[in-house]
Amino acid sequence: MNNASLNRATPYLFLAPALVIMAIALLYPLGYMVYGSFRDWDPSQTLQEASFVGLANYKTLWNDPNFHESLMVTLKFACSVVTVEMFIGVGLALLLDRKLRGMSLLRTLFILPMMIAPVVVGLIWRYMYHPSIGLFNRTSEGLGLGSVDWLGQHALLSVIIADIWQWTPFIFILSLAALQSLPRSAIEAAKIDGASGWQQIWHIKLPLMMPVLIVTGLLRLIDAFKVLEVILVMTEGGPGLSTEILALRISRTATEFRELGVAAAMSNYLLMLLLLLTVIMLTYNKISDLRAQRARRIAEEAI
Amino acid sequence: MKIFKSLVVAATTSLLIAGQSLAGPYDEYADTTLVVNFPAHPHYNAVMKILPEFTAETGIEVEVDQLPYLKMRERQTLELGQDEGDYDLVAYVVFSKADYVYADQLENLARYFMNPKLADPGYDADDLIDGYVYNIGFAGGNKGYLQGKTGSLFGIPYGSETSILGYRKDIFEKHGLKVPETYDEMLDIACKIPTLEPGMGGLSSRAASGHHASHAFLLHLAPLGGRIFDDEWNPIVNNAQGVQAANALKTIVDCGPKGAASFGFGEALGSFLNGDTAMFLDTTVVAGQIDDPAKSKVVGKVGWAMHPMGTRRGSQTGGFGIGIPKNAEHKEAAFLLMQWLTSKKGDKLVALAGGNPSRFSTHDDADVNAKFPHMKTFGEALQHADPDWRPIIPVWGKINADLGTSLSKVLTEGLDVQTALDGVAERTKAVMEEAGYYTWR
Repeated sequence: MNNASLNRATPYLFLAPALVIMAIALLYPLGYMVYGSFRDWDPSQTLQEASFVGLANYKTLWNDPNFHESLMVTLKFACSVVTVEMFIGVGLALLLDRKLRGMSLLRTLFILPMMIAPVVVGLIWRYMYHPSIGLFNRTSEGLGLGSVDWLGQHALLSVIIADIWQWTPFIFILSLAALQSLPRSAIEAAKIDGASGWQQIWHIKLPLMMPVLIVTGLLRLIDAFKVLEVILVMTEGGPGLSTEILALRISRTATEFRELGVAAAMSNYLLMLLLLLTVIMLTYNKISDLRAQRARRIAEEAI
Repeated sequence: MKIFKSLVVAATTSLLIAGQSLAGPYDEYADTTLVVNFPAHPHYNAVMKILPEFTAETGIEVEVDQLPYLKMRERQTLELGQDEGDYDLVAYVVFSKADYVYADQLENLARYFMNPKLADPGYDADDLIDGYVYNIGFAGGNKGYLQGKTGSLFGIPYGSETSILGYRKDIFEKHGLKVPETYDEMLDIACKIPTLEPGMGGLSSRAASGHHASHAFLLHLAPLGGRIFDDEWNPIVNNAQGVQAANALKTIVDCGPKGAASFGFGEALGSFLNGDTAMFLDTTVVAGQIDDPAKSKVVGKVGWAMHPMGTRRGSQTGGFGIGIPKNAEHKEAAFLLMQWLTSKKGDKLVALAGGNPSRFSTHDDADVNAKFPHMKTFGEALQHADPDWRPIIPVWGKINADLGTSLSKVLTEGLDVQTALDGVAERTKAVMEEAGYYTWR
């Protein structure tokens, strides 16, 4: 190898150990899961001892109405929480992006819920929703409004509210950071041109924030598809299957039903769904990024 | 001198031989350290209090790895599958019996009870509660998971529980109500209570989706004469008795405290402890909490009665047992610990420390009853403990979840009982078929 080739190869040689470790750490568990999904795998067996069943686990799930119901519950849950959290989180960021006394304390208080362990969040909300000793029903009964069967008839709504409470701060923080990194010159120029507050938000701030918002929304969406502890503690998936999201069904299939192969196949379906959503959102992000760049350019030209 | 020397040698040899033959059963294992795996559970908290006495008596040290129940199950799945395990003795929940025995991970206890150096002749195995032993300890007999001519003992019940009816003595006295002895009487009173005591539920039961609803249903199924399967593994959960049990659960929930349909075990017990319900039909393990002023608003107001009768008596059996893993390092010393804990002495000690006794004699013991007056009633209920109230087969987890979610739909979404149980029976049949239960047809 001559000197020039060696020089070219040097960075890759230095990177190689880290890349190999990363590849093993990332790909091995993933490969293990994919491999396991083709086997009739009981927890008392090693993966090698489990018999090969081809695509049988995937076919079983394809025809399983409970899996379809869990998938629908997951979609409803994830889409609802991400939509509402984005609206509230971005709205709060726009509202609080200003210099007011006590603002830093307020921001700190806002992010507290996401620092609490999900199991604790589940327990807090479960007892707030308690039919007789819970805060909500005691308050509503005190006001003469009667009681609500929160974790019964309105179980999905109840877990959605708890998730919104915990994770809206995440959207808020990232949105606030995005807002504060916007070029002030563009906003100043819009003000000079007489743009109202709403016009500034719609035509300047939101288009410029969009790439960050899409990534934020994507991260939340991925997380919402995998939420487990809060729902496990609050409703255990019930009543019926009304709050049994996929992560909970995967966990049950692996531990209660002892069907690790089916659980792995279910995880792969979830992974494929998330990959599809990620590709769609990142493509949209690229388009938004180009639009944002154009908006920046126009704003700068206007100045 | 020679004679003196010979006498000394003879005397020394005799002493050594005598010493050997008189050695205590624990001597060989003194200084052994056993590692045991127990759950975080009121019974095992009581066990922690009596273990120092075992060590003092035997010289065997015990190191306890006490874990939350689900974590314990997870850890055991990993540990029991190794060539050499960390645990010498494990507590397992009754469901695990089928899995562990089927995977050949638990020692058959016959070879220990056959060993005269290990087996205590005063152990009195007949005093152990039959229902518990057959439910938790036996495998390979009738139906594969019960006692029978082909069965063997793989574990001993320890921290086991049965079902019992707790009722509010003050409320019953106030309204002149008779303590229910049959299902009809119990359901009748359960629905009278909300009228007699506005704001109070009749009977508090678990009913939340999944294993809670399934457990509550099974609690009624056995006394009402039903079973999940017939003797040939055909699902019969949807027969008249099954429908009657599901309707009993629905009546209990409808006449129960507010939000009863979403109650797990904690909420159901909490409702009774809080004074919001007049009756509680579930496990005996709650007695300690009901008598604890820090946790209960009904201390001194609760009476106990046997699980009401339907067409037969049949209180539940469940909880924990202890067994020796196949991959344990100190199996014989572990057996000695197991035997000591479940002996008459050990059982009484743990009962006095707040645990659940496994022997009939402990339930009748004067000292135990002086401290826990409910123990005699519990002992009477245990005469009727049904080891077959719930199938213990490897595919039960899947059937149980289906049964529990279907019943939850009955309780919350108005699904017709017969339709729900027909669906469960049909899906159960498919599960059993796939698991090979119909291979011999």
